[in-house]
Amino acid sequence: MLCVFLAGAALLRLAIGPAGGDGGGLSLGFASGAILELRLTAVASAALLGAALSLSGLALQGLLRNPLASPFILGVSSGAGFGVTLALALPLALGLPAARFGGEVVGASAGALAAIVLVGWLGGARRGGDPTTLVLTGVVAGAILSAGSMLVEQLVPFGMRGDLLSWMAGRLPELPSRAAMLTLASSVAVGATLLAARARALDVACLSDEEAASSGVDLARLRFELFVVGGLLAAIAVAYAGPIGFIGLIGPHAARRLVGSHHRALVPASAIAGAALLVGADLVRQAIDLGTGRLPVGVVTAIVGGPAFLWLLRRGRWAS
Amino acid sequence: MTVSSDGSLLLEVDGLSVAHGAVRAVAGVSLEVRRGEIWAVVGPNGSGKSSLLRAIAGVERGLVRGRARFADPARSLPAQRAFVPQRADVSAAFTARDIVALGRYAVGTDHAAVERAIAEVGLSARAHLDYHALSGGERQRVAIARALAQLDAGGVLVLDEPFASIDPAEVARLVGVLRARAAKGAVLVSLHDPGLSRALATHAVVLRAGEVVAQGRIDDALAGPVLERAYGLGLVEVEGDGVKWFVPRLDAPTRPGGADRMEP
Repeated sequence: MLCVFLAGAALLRLAIGPAGGDGGGLSLGFASGAILELRLTAVASAALLGAALSLSGLALQGLLRNPLASPFILGVSSGAGFGVTLALALPLALGLPAARFGGEVVGASAGALAAIVLVGWLGGARRGGDPTTLVLTGVVAGAILSAGSMLVEQLVPFGMRGDLLSWMAGRLPELPSRAAMLTLASSVAVGATLLAARARALDVACLSDEEAASSGVDLARLRFELFVVGGLLAAIAVAYAGPIGFIGLIGPHAARRLVGSHHRALVPASAIAGAALLVGADLVRQAIDLGTGRLPVGVVTAIVGGPAFLWLLRRGRWAS
Repeated sequence: MTVSSDGSLLLEVDGLSVAHGAVRAVAGVSLEVRRGEIWAVVGPNGSGKSSLLRAIAGVERGLVRGRARFADPARSLPAQRAFVPQRADVSAAFTARDIVALGRYAVGTDHAAVERAIAEVGLSARAHLDYHALSGGERQRVAIARALAQLDAGGVLVLDEPFASIDPAEVARLVGVLRARAAKGAVLVSLHDPGLSRALATHAVVLRAGEVVAQGRIDDALAGPVLERAYGLGLVEVEGDGVKWFVPRLDAPTRPGGADRMEP
């Protein structure tokens, strides 16, 4: 099953080739040299971001004991959004030259990390975190941070709000730097390794807390690890691509359907599923876009992922 | 009805107290559990039965003082005690066998031990099914098999209200499972029903508002006056066919002071 999935992801990677092109219009067929390299970079960054988001979702679903949890439930995206808004607004307010793309990433990272630390601290993640408290803390912190963003946004002139809006919708970086790619690749590798190492404990944590503790799992430690891994992966992904929704939810869910609930298979499968989903969403985006390159991929994932989420919710089969 | 005990000490509880915030749930319980013994933890709702058992098993999240020491510090704790909560819960699509195998998390994979535990609770024919397709009684047996799978000989099985929502046939089956466990190690079990406690257990601790009202051999600990004190209610002892049971005296007015706290 896993192999089928791998093949599917690989096919998607190939299929996306003909739809690229940065000039304008839809170019079909494999381009040569530099353009092919651009496309490969774009595909690789989409795959890594998808894997990061999906692994983050898997970690947080394990943490919250709920297969419908997703990375942005802990206020990560709102924190990053607040950070980006500040990064855009502060230099203007202080009369400095406006920060360009670099400032955005720094602001998003700082905001996402600050949100994670704050929510984790207030929600008691270090003490083993009661899932309900953690979720409610995340939601409320997210609401406060969003309000803060809107407040600060008033300082940003209209001309620059477009950038902010497109960032908030979630879009893949067109020309990710080598450093960005390295950061992404290493975070995905480290995150996947950590989760795979704890696969058995993650299985046991699907039981009630008391049964997991009885079996010998240190739940407080496991939940702290999941919080850090899940939160950091989401923060890094958001910093580079904005809050791309639903990959963190649908990725692990698709993986569960294919390989079952055992985390030994679920960790790699989730990473692959997330990568395939985001590459696929980017393909759809480019097909709709006709090469103008302005449609954020987050719009596609939300339009497809939102109804998928509602369908899962209505079916009520959380465990499947 | 009593299982003979060979006297080897499996568990020593020393001045165990549990507090949930400002509320004291258990106050200074001490007891010694030996091989072959089944200890019933008896008392009204909110008397601290669950907190005491969770604290003994080391899975209580409230503030625990005192100690529960298992016989062999060299063996890993999960092999020496296993806890079955009142309400089991599984948030993944696992089969019954998958769940029982999770009991081996800390004590090493052992397929034979998993199959033995499944057979002990009579689920061999249904262990391949999805957990969520099983009945309430079967789910509880899965939880008990999970606990049995992790214990080695001499391990103590700790169960919180396992008889709370099962039919008489399941009760009889569960009694058999617990006696088989006690023959190898020991069992601690909380019960609402003093009659069933006496039919099942060799020893009892009777709690009221977190304090021990009586403890010791079952016939001494579960005497009528003790139970009246614990429950604040008259209990009639009835006997038939070699079985002694307690029936509440429902026509008499209840005395205050029995169940005086909420379940934590």
